[in-house]
Amino acid sequence: MPTVPFFAQSGTFSQLWPITRQHVADVLDQGKFADGRKVLELEKALTAYTGAKFVVGVNSGVDALVLLLKAAGLRSGDEVVVPAFSPPESAAAVVLAGGRPVFADIEPEGYGIKAASVEAVAGERTRFVLPVHLFCRPADLGGVAEVAARLGLTVVEDAGWALGMRWGGRHAGLLGAGGALSFAPGRTLGALGDAGAVITNNPAVAEVVGALRHQRSGYPVVGAPSRMSDVQAAVLLAGIGRLDSDIRRRAALARQYHRRLADVPGVRVVADPPRKGGLRGVFARYVVEVADRDGLVAGLADAGVVARVCVPVPAHLRPAHAHPLHGPGAFPNAERASRRVVALPLYPDLTAAQVDRVCDVVAGWAA
Amino acid sequence: MGGVKIPYLPLDLFGESRTALLDAVRRVGMSPELVPGPRTAAFEEALRADVGAVDVIACGGGFPPVLRALGVRAGDEVVVPAFGGAALASACVHLDAVPVFADVDPWTLVVDPVEVDKAVTGRTRVIAAAHVFAVMADMPALRRIAADYEVRLLEDASSAHGGVLGGRPAGTWGDVGMFSFAWSEVCGMPGEGGAVVTSDPGLGRAVRALFAPGGPCAGSRFDEVMAAFQLHRMPLWPRLRDRRARIAEYYTGRFSGLTGVRPAPSAGGFHAVYAVFAERRDALREHLATRGIGTHVHHPVPLPRHPAFVALATPGRDWPAAERATAHHLALPLHHRLTDAQAEQVADEVCRFAGRT
Repeated sequence: MPTVPFFAQSGTFSQLWPITRQHVADVLDQGKFADGRKVLELEKALTAYTGAKFVVGVNSGVDALVLLLKAAGLRSGDEVVVPAFSPPESAAAVVLAGGRPVFADIEPEGYGIKAASVEAVAGERTRFVLPVHLFCRPADLGGVAEVAARLGLTVVEDAGWALGMRWGGRHAGLLGAGGALSFAPGRTLGALGDAGAVITNNPAVAEVVGALRHQRSGYPVVGAPSRMSDVQAAVLLAGIGRLDSDIRRRAALARQYHRRLADVPGVRVVADPPRKGGLRGVFARYVVEVADRDGLVAGLADAGVVARVCVPVPAHLRPAHAHPLHGPGAFPNAERASRRVVALPLYPDLTAAQVDRVCDVVAGWAA
Repeated sequence: MGGVKIPYLPLDLFGESRTALLDAVRRVGMSPELVPGPRTAAFEEALRADVGAVDVIACGGGFPPVLRALGVRAGDEVVVPAFGGAALASACVHLDAVPVFADVDPWTLVVDPVEVDKAVTGRTRVIAAAHVFAVMADMPALRRIAADYEVRLLEDASSAHGGVLGGRPAGTWGDVGMFSFAWSEVCGMPGEGGAVVTSDPGLGRAVRALFAPGGPCAGSRFDEVMAAFQLHRMPLWPRLRDRRARIAEYYTGRFSGLTGVRPAPSAGGFHAVYAVFAERRDALREHLATRGIGTHVHHPVPLPRHPAFVALATPGRDWPAAERATAHHLALPLHHRLTDAQAEQVADEVCRFAGRT
């Protein structure tokens, strides 16, 4: 066992067990185990938490994105602009929905999609732009909204890491047609398996996602069956009660990392955004930038600390998405971030002593 | 009306496994390893030994990835039974492929090999066969057809886990087989998910790659909690199958010789659903409902008439057996927690209805 795993939850899970146990027992009494009453209860709790008018639970974050894109009107062959610095799931969801991902560069600060680059890559068949909110702050959507309005693109947000983040006073995911949340293990609110949800203020989008997740007899829509497990909903309902305190705990641990690492030569720390103008970051992940990401991950591993490379290859350089005009050098900020960004362990179970241990190893490695 | 006395499926379907589920949640929650985890791998290995396949991939949901792994691309055709669930045909549509509907046998309701043969064209990539209720499809004939045309055979054994035909387990007849463990299935669990079974190692690797982290189906992995639950419950499976078989046998004994109600056919030794064929199906359903007995119509319209697929159905073709099946099948309560007294009550009421007609 590593001394500091990348993710662990036995401490918080055992504290929550009496509540979790009750929710799971309810599921056993309700006799429906997917898209049942516990899922409905979770959807209501998420509506209250995010302020979205509609929340539709589905089987995973990827499914949430696929169904959201379809419900927002994606037709086979439509192009979707995706940031080149994003996890493989973002572009994979576009392909699964029948669309074609085209890539854009990111801002060097905050890793959000760059509005000017969206404008540069958008073509005649481009109909959507998909900002991805990563790590600890939402993408800056002001410029994106302006470009999208001018080019007639629909904004759909990958909010898989963005629970609790706010932009312009609204929860991430609610700027455009809607957002896709993920509750995979290890997320700010994580289940014990896959689970996801679409959040939207648009009743038509919510209606179509709701219809797509089943194959209702007599409903003239080809379904993409994707139902949330009630057992996972039970686990999430227990967790949502302590979500705000978990977020505070994550922020406190991030501040500790920050204090220890800000002055280490060769290590660039990434701060959360100032809380103003309706902007709120959440430390879903704590990342640093170094010149030799693989060297840092290996150095930490030798000391029993598990760290992860976030985006091993930028999306436009993955073989599945090869494009003749977008070779190496096409999106320099995304390529640079991919080469440099490493995620360090960050979760409520992590102790201050463990953070110190990680920082000691990072500092030793940098020297 | 005194309410539902014998529901089609009871709320406490997993009553005997309450502690097992709570333990599974707790153990997975306390474990450092989550998706895709060691319990899913152990469950796959146990299933592999159980059915004797080369590779088993447990997954959250499977038709689109499996069709993709079988080489189905935009514009290809997939032959699909006209009577059944919509999942297969939906998966075709999601890949921009075309489901071509083949009619079924009027008595057993599984796809008719003669109709399959007629539906194959130069654009056919896959023949999909499904086992229905308690009958395995004619897999030897379908294998010959698939081999003749050099197309792949997908065996939808969603409900047929545990079935055997000609000494060969359900799921292992096709190039690829699919099981479901949704809660209403014989070996179901309190969640959703299934398994892909294949004896073609290359195909197994291709399917596995789709569900790997970063793969296109990474969001549809099997649930570790459910894997823990199923591993715990596997030793019960023979008893669950046996109980259903005995109830089915009892129903069939009681319904033989009735007028207007035919007992459910059975072939392959599995009993997912007990569906009678009733001349006056809706009247029988109403009769049972007023006596507090829940029933289910699994497929109310033939797929080519389903509003989602009607535009894709081959013009000028008809599916008379599927039409009749949708109008006349009625599934009776059949699950391992049904008591002898309840089964007797259901049978009494069906016989009383038939006697009156």
